[in-house]
Amino acid sequence: MRPLRQDLFHELEPLLARVERPARYLDHEWGATERQDGPFHVCLIYADTYEVGQPNLGIAILYNELNGAEGISCERAYLPWVDMSALMRERGVPLLSLETSSAVASFDIVGFTLAHELIASNVVEALDLAGIAIRADGRDEDDPIVIAGGPSAWNCEPLCPMFDAVLLGDGEGEIVDVARCARDARAEGAPRDEILLRLSRIEGVYVPSLYELRVDATSTRWGYAVPRAGSLTPRIVRKRCIPDLAATEPVAQRMVPYMGVVQDRLAIEVLRGCARGCRFCQAGMTYRPVRERPADQVVEAVASGLAATGHDECSLSSLSTTDHSQCASILRALGDHARDRGLRVSIPSQRLDSFGVEMAAAASGSRRGGLTFAPEAGTQRLRDVINKNVTDEDLERAARNAFAHGWRRMKLYYMMGLPTETDEDIVAITAAARRVLEIGREVCARPRRGRGGVSVSISVAVFVPKCHTPFQWVGQLARDEVRRRQQLLLQSAGDRDIAISYHDSDVSVVEAALSKMGRKGFDVVLEAWRRGCRFDAWTSQFDYDAWLEAGRAVGVDLERAATEEFPLGARLPWDHTSPGVSKGFLQREWRRAIGGVTTPDCTMTSCVGCGVCPTLGVSNVIAGDRHVG
Amino acid sequence: MSGSPPVGRPDLHRLRVRFGKDGRLAYLGHLEVAGTIERSVRRSALPFSVGNGFARRMRIQFSQALPVGSASACEYYDLYLTERVAPREALERLVTSTPASLAPTAASYVRGRLPALEAWLTRSAWRLELSGTGGAFAPPAFDAALRELRAIGAISFMRGDRPRTIGLDDTLVSWAVTPRQGRGGCSVVDLVLDTRSSNLGALRPAVLVEAALSRPVLAAVELDSMRVLRVAQWHEGADGSLVDALSDGVTMPDPPAKR
Repeated sequence: MRPLRQDLFHELEPLLARVERPARYLDHEWGATERQDGPFHVCLIYADTYEVGQPNLGIAILYNELNGAEGISCERAYLPWVDMSALMRERGVPLLSLETSSAVASFDIVGFTLAHELIASNVVEALDLAGIAIRADGRDEDDPIVIAGGPSAWNCEPLCPMFDAVLLGDGEGEIVDVARCARDARAEGAPRDEILLRLSRIEGVYVPSLYELRVDATSTRWGYAVPRAGSLTPRIVRKRCIPDLAATEPVAQRMVPYMGVVQDRLAIEVLRGCARGCRFCQAGMTYRPVRERPADQVVEAVASGLAATGHDECSLSSLSTTDHSQCASILRALGDHARDRGLRVSIPSQRLDSFGVEMAAAASGSRRGGLTFAPEAGTQRLRDVINKNVTDEDLERAARNAFAHGWRRMKLYYMMGLPTETDEDIVAITAAARRVLEIGREVCARPRRGRGGVSVSISVAVFVPKCHTPFQWVGQLARDEVRRRQQLLLQSAGDRDIAISYHDSDVSVVEAALSKMGRKGFDVVLEAWRRGCRFDAWTSQFDYDAWLEAGRAVGVDLERAATEEFPLGARLPWDHTSPGVSKGFLQREWRRAIGGVTTPDCTMTSCVGCGVCPTLGVSNVIAGDRHVG
Repeated sequence: MSGSPPVGRPDLHRLRVRFGKDGRLAYLGHLEVAGTIERSVRRSALPFSVGNGFARRMRIQFSQALPVGSASACEYYDLYLTERVAPREALERLVTSTPASLAPTAASYVRGRLPALEAWLTRSAWRLELSGTGGAFAPPAFDAALRELRAIGAISFMRGDRPRTIGLDDTLVSWAVTPRQGRGGCSVVDLVLDTRSSNLGALRPAVLVEAALSRPVLAAVELDSMRVLRVAQWHEGADGSLVDALSDGVTMPDPPAKR
């Protein structure tokens, strides 16, 4: 029985004085939609703390779309930190929405964004705290329809037993279609099974309960999903794709938090998609094609967004902002706007060439913090394998240019455990850092250390194979070998001005297992949650042993799941969902990777045959002219 | 958060704004309030001045931090403007751009050479509503506990995991306790406090109440809830006279409940 919709803030308020950072639970932020008349109510949940989830642009976009639709209201909810959730359970207070403090279980639709793999246990925690049955098949007729979407929905199999429906691709339009469909079906008195069937007819919507698992000689041990007999659901659910980003609202995030959040600034999405074709990058494959906003729309959006929110910083957000064909003119225009108002413009990552440095200089004005580049691999051979089309000369030129522009601190991102990697590739990472440091000292002619000295830091992530990429068949490097290579990296640094940090190999094992497992993986997630796992993305909370034990308890060896290779011809656990990139293209890219053959960016040369445009009926939308960097 | 006070900048106009803090937003911390006000100022499009430091921050200064969970009718900030805007117009623009629970209630220009607000406003009046149970939950017992604390002269307490001590001779100026009608078997008392801050520290009402509850005379008392409201802030002149924060030097009568 669904609880009545009513304001329960009075039950939460007495707890506020007893928890860390009570501002997480206050709501009524500037720009939030306070009128929530419905009558159809949706609650979108980012299953992490407020300060982590609030800046999420995806939720902001969907929030606006739903609140703009006639007869539909949308609120948000975040996961209370462990101190608050313990008190809420003690007092019998359920998970509440932010805007009206209504029980999440009272909503018609509850939606989760799957931002990364490690959010899995938090989704279970949120459902449990809300008092909603964790498994979709345990829900009553009147219970909320629980949906999910987001970047990690591409292999949602280890989580899908919790979801009534999963939305693939661009959520604009799709989310409103889903809400209207559920609303109309409810109004007609349709039973839950009928509602789910109707949802499965919507483009981009995957209803897991309408697919059954098969394990046979053509599949991996995780099996593959096929439509249930008579369901008439598509064999492959393809993503929804908006053809033109310029037709969407450019200022999506208008809610201004009271507390400091992880990205405390206005974010304007300047383009969606990236066609550079890095073979490890899931977003690069799943967000295609490239769709740019025109420069004048971006500049106008920044001005109006800053005026409406009062932010003093704006981020030009995308997978590769400096690839925007009008990047230079956008930054020029924004520089004029920002200079006298103490406003800052930031771009999330720099292209590894001189143009990238020039754009970083244009964005930052006279400020010089640190500058970040992502060569990803230490040798040219390995960069060719991963299709990171930059050279040692690009890195050196970019570094020289950056130091000449006044930067003193350089951060370089790499990955470890990439396919075909050897010790030589590891040692080459620190060699590149030393070369960059040398260039810095030569250009800056400053003291070696201390104030004014140059420094380089290297951050090395552990490669996690992701579905729908050319590396989806490979296994993760074994944990012990990761640790050996991390030691090798540390030993090869050779200069005190080079700082090295690397990702926790234990966390990476869980990420990889969740990336590669099939539906059976949910047993692990549920058992890990039962053993206390939540907030796994927080170093202070992550408990590797609990995850391993959870796996053992349900018969899954997590380390084996993470390192397992899949045959190139096997049917994969996620083959029934598609971002439009063909499996044939991914297989071809894998073969080219092994051969060290690179593939160009189709927005700068010609079509590379990934299959997105003909499959989805879309094409790249480039506002100006793109040139090879 | 805030830009440093401009030295030797007679071209800037120092607008002093009084604002409240109530409702849910009483649970905001000082930095969260400051950040929210800064964004409200930006939304108001007032011609605020920006510092010359690396971060190019807005030139704005706030009065002393209000503890998390405390409401107030009288917080202040000084905003430096590059152009003089009529106080009424500035106030209207700020009201429009600020969340209602932090809404400004008054604004006027003050002299540029006045000390920073945080150091200048040294006296506060508070009203606390304490709700609880137990036979001793009544004004006489609270009054006795406070007298005992005053006689001891200092309170030791923990802030986070750090031990702290605050002297009461200077910081606790006066108090008054009165009964109020409670509900559902709860007793309610109103505690009015007058406190003074200095370089040595400021007395937080919650710390005083917690210390009072630890005295034997209140040992059997269960505190259910405590609402704290700062009702006034003043500058205390060398002769003990109180100066209204917005009056820029005009002496005000002494506050009530002086003991």
